[in-house]
Amino acid sequence: MSITVLGVNHRTAPLEVRERFAHGAREVPTSLERVLAAGARGGVLLSTCNRTEFYLADPDDTAPEAVWTLLSERLGGARRASDYGYSQRDREAVRHLYRVSAGLDSMILGETQIQGQVRDAWELSKAQAGPALHRLFQSALLVGARVRSETGLAAGTASAPSAAVAVAAKIFTRLAGRSALILGAGDMAELAATCLVSEGVRVTLVANRTYERARAIADELDARALTLDEAWEHFADADIVLCSTAAPHTVVTWDRVAPAVARRGGRPLCILDLAVPRDVDPAVAQLENVFLYDIDDLQAVAAQAAAQRRSDIPAAEHIVSEEVERFWAWYGGLAVVPVLKELRDRMERVRADEVERALRRMHLTPEDRAQLEHFSQALLNKFLHQPTIALKQAAGAGRGYGLLEALKRLFGLEPRDGA
Amino acid sequence: MLALFLVLLQVASEGLFRASAVGVFTGPLATGLVGLALLIGLAPAGTPSTARGPWSILHITVSVLGLAMLALAFIAAALYLLQFRELKARRFGQVFRLFPPLERLDQLNHLSLILGFPTVTLGVLLGFGVRYAGGASVDAAQVVWGMLTWLVLGWAVGVRVVRHWVGRRAAFASIASFAAVLLVYLALKLTAPGTQRFL
Repeated sequence: MSITVLGVNHRTAPLEVRERFAHGAREVPTSLERVLAAGARGGVLLSTCNRTEFYLADPDDTAPEAVWTLLSERLGGARRASDYGYSQRDREAVRHLYRVSAGLDSMILGETQIQGQVRDAWELSKAQAGPALHRLFQSALLVGARVRSETGLAAGTASAPSAAVAVAAKIFTRLAGRSALILGAGDMAELAATCLVSEGVRVTLVANRTYERARAIADELDARALTLDEAWEHFADADIVLCSTAAPHTVVTWDRVAPAVARRGGRPLCILDLAVPRDVDPAVAQLENVFLYDIDDLQAVAAQAAAQRRSDIPAAEHIVSEEVERFWAWYGGLAVVPVLKELRDRMERVRADEVERALRRMHLTPEDRAQLEHFSQALLNKFLHQPTIALKQAAGAGRGYGLLEALKRLFGLEPRDGA
Repeated sequence: MLALFLVLLQVASEGLFRASAVGVFTGPLATGLVGLALLIGLAPAGTPSTARGPWSILHITVSVLGLAMLALAFIAAALYLLQFRELKARRFGQVFRLFPPLERLDQLNHLSLILGFPTVTLGVLLGFGVRYAGGASVDAAQVVWGMLTWLVLGWAVGVRVVRHWVGRRAAFASIASFAAVLLVYLALKLTAPGTQRFL
């Protein structure tokens, strides 16, 4: 019985690697299915622009290899995903998820977007999560909420969308009245657009691969809808371009936008590429007066704002530790109940068999038989009382795992699945 | 006097453009100018100003004010290029945080240049007036070099106003023109030392 997390994040892998590991919503069940088939009772895949992590319940020895193989295939070439990865087990895996959910493990300390991403991951993987991970992710969301309400870790606006505003404000004297073009219909672009609109930026054009989706967003923002192919010429007049398409490759290339940029007359153009994988070919940044920033850049800017949140880290870590112990007590108890039941059942069968055998040899009155039955039952209860109490107490204190394993080995117990 | 005007202009630009980072450059530059003046003997030890005549004083004042504006344009251009480099290189350090937005620096450069050039021109015209009125003697080398420098300044303003250069190209032009002013000034000081006038 264990919980394991395996994955990569912004600390261990560059964007170029992370974007290959990023899973779309449709890919999650397939990848999880493949890993679970290698041996695990439950799994949740958390895939954001900053991390791709597999949370596994009771994984077999072969499951980690299945995860690294799956990720290595996405990486291509001779590179191994495990070179960029990490794994944590049991309490440390729980602590890891709680820290992720609280924003303690984010590139932007305390950022709130991760909370929604953890929720999405849980909901996407619900069918494959199993009871332990189900509870783990539920509690992770509560831990995130508790940290944000009881500490100042989420104070301020140190998020990537707000960083988009900060970057644009270092290019343009005033943001009010600037025009923005949105490419794609990603959540990040919508968030960044909301931040920019609050500064007075006008979203004038929304372009998407499918015109209908562009129209839906454009109607919300009082903008004009375009298809992607129609968007390139508007690089000549927009001040800010927000990119967040779901395309698996770059869509904004030098060839497509250079002619329009040349018609700008030297006016600066700020391109904010919020997509993973990136939408904008890095070569576009070489165009004169084009300032291109991807998600890593924006998060680096936001990380500066988050520096002031660091003083709240100890308080947040304290909450995480408390909650890890609480979960582990529950998790330990979860395992104790079926094992204790199995122990009691087995002892009861032994007692009943032995009493039955003794009664066959003795010719006792019904009252005496009842007395013997009662005596054997009381004796069994007394024998089992202390181990039961000790095990429950150890589980309650989060130390039941070792005792449980010892008990299972000593008495040859293996609870039936679903017990 | 140049240092004084520079500091006054910097204070004015801070109010107009909220470009406090300009002070990071104007402060040391003003101090440097005062130090340089003392070092090369430009201390106010020459003819008493009352003996120069009002037109001469006006000529000097207007010329120095014009030069201070050009110095401010130069500083704005230098800050622009630094901020441009940081933004292009995606570095978000002190320059990114403390320097004003690119457009504001470009506007400050533009305004300083288009105000500085006519002011310097007026100073030059006043200088000619003073000379031909017999108020001062200026040798031919100063006039020739002064006019060449004025042409360079005129070019920097011309490409901005007529050819609509903006951004990096305009910043380079502004820096080149102010560098020409400094180089010619230093060359004249070295070849003809003394309390020479310039422009």
